[in-house]
Amino acid sequence: MFFFKRDKPSEALELFGNVATIGMQLVVATFIGLAIGYYLDEWLGTKPWMLIIFLLLGIVTGFRDVYREAMRLQRGADAQSSGPACGPGRDDARGGSDRQGK
Amino acid sequence: MSAGLPHPLTYSVILDESLGLHLPPHVYYMWLAMIILFTCGFILRGRLQLVPGGLQNVFETIFGGLEDFVVLNIGEEGRKVFPFLGAMFIFILVMNYIGLIPGCDAATANVNTNAAMAITVFVYYNYIGIKKWGFGYIKHFMGPVVFLAPLMLVLELVSHIARPLSLTLRLFGNIRGEEIVLVLLFVLAPVLGTIPMYFLFILGKTIQAFIFFMLTMIYLKGSLEHAH
Repeated sequence: MFFFKRDKPSEALELFGNVATIGMQLVVATFIGLAIGYYLDEWLGTKPWMLIIFLLLGIVTGFRDVYREAMRLQRGADAQSSGPACGPGRDDARGGSDRQGK
Repeated sequence: MSAGLPHPLTYSVILDESLGLHLPPHVYYMWLAMIILFTCGFILRGRLQLVPGGLQNVFETIFGGLEDFVVLNIGEEGRKVFPFLGAMFIFILVMNYIGLIPGCDAATANVNTNAAMAITVFVYYNYIGIKKWGFGYIKHFMGPVVFLAPLMLVLELVSHIARPLSLTLRLFGNIRGEEIVLVLLFVLAPVLGTIPMYFLFILGKTIQAFIFFMLTMIYLKGSLEHAH
């Protein structure tokens, strides 16, 4: 098979996959925040406030997701350059990347 | 490759007229993908061999590679969720490739198919998380700091609702775009123009199926691992 070299997905496939996921999250999270704010406004009758608050929260979420994704890719690149030590046991590196979003 | 144009000349229109069911085209092409996969499955199940050859070799390469990839990323727990992931990958792959056959349309070039699959993924990874952690699954939404927990809860909620939407739109946009480009090039330069694009789009469609699979795997990993 063309896309599976030596019984694993080829590097190009993985690379394209990783890169293509980043941009969408920013936009979609913003719109989800907007939609939640809009419908909360309709429900609660607080006309502009929920919309503004949730739009800002959506934008923050989008940037945080992109940041988290970039950190994940960076860790993958680090693990690849430092040797084949990547694997299931590396979850502890996650904790540091979640202090953003304030 | 009719790209959802108003009057597509696809096999599904002819089939629909003869059956009189009034179903949209993507339903027929999804059934076609299911028929292809079920047929392959039943053929292969009947003659599994220790030394694979032909069709079995192809499927073993794909699924062996994907399973190694999942186990490398999630860990041994990944073997439990791999059937879902692998089925998702091969299903989307076959539906994408059907769009390349002249007179057929990719089922994934319609939002409804993708939304159905994305919502399935959403429900599935939350189900796996709740099954594993019970009520403690909510810690995944809380973040590491206690006094920021209410804020993080809202942020994570937005982030989690955004996931199925982004899965849907990414797959839909890419596949529909490729179909439209194929049709336009076919109008401009009937056969010569489309042949080179086929190679690009085989790559593109494989990548899209793989992205869907990989993101599902990342979400499942997030719900299976410890809350930070």
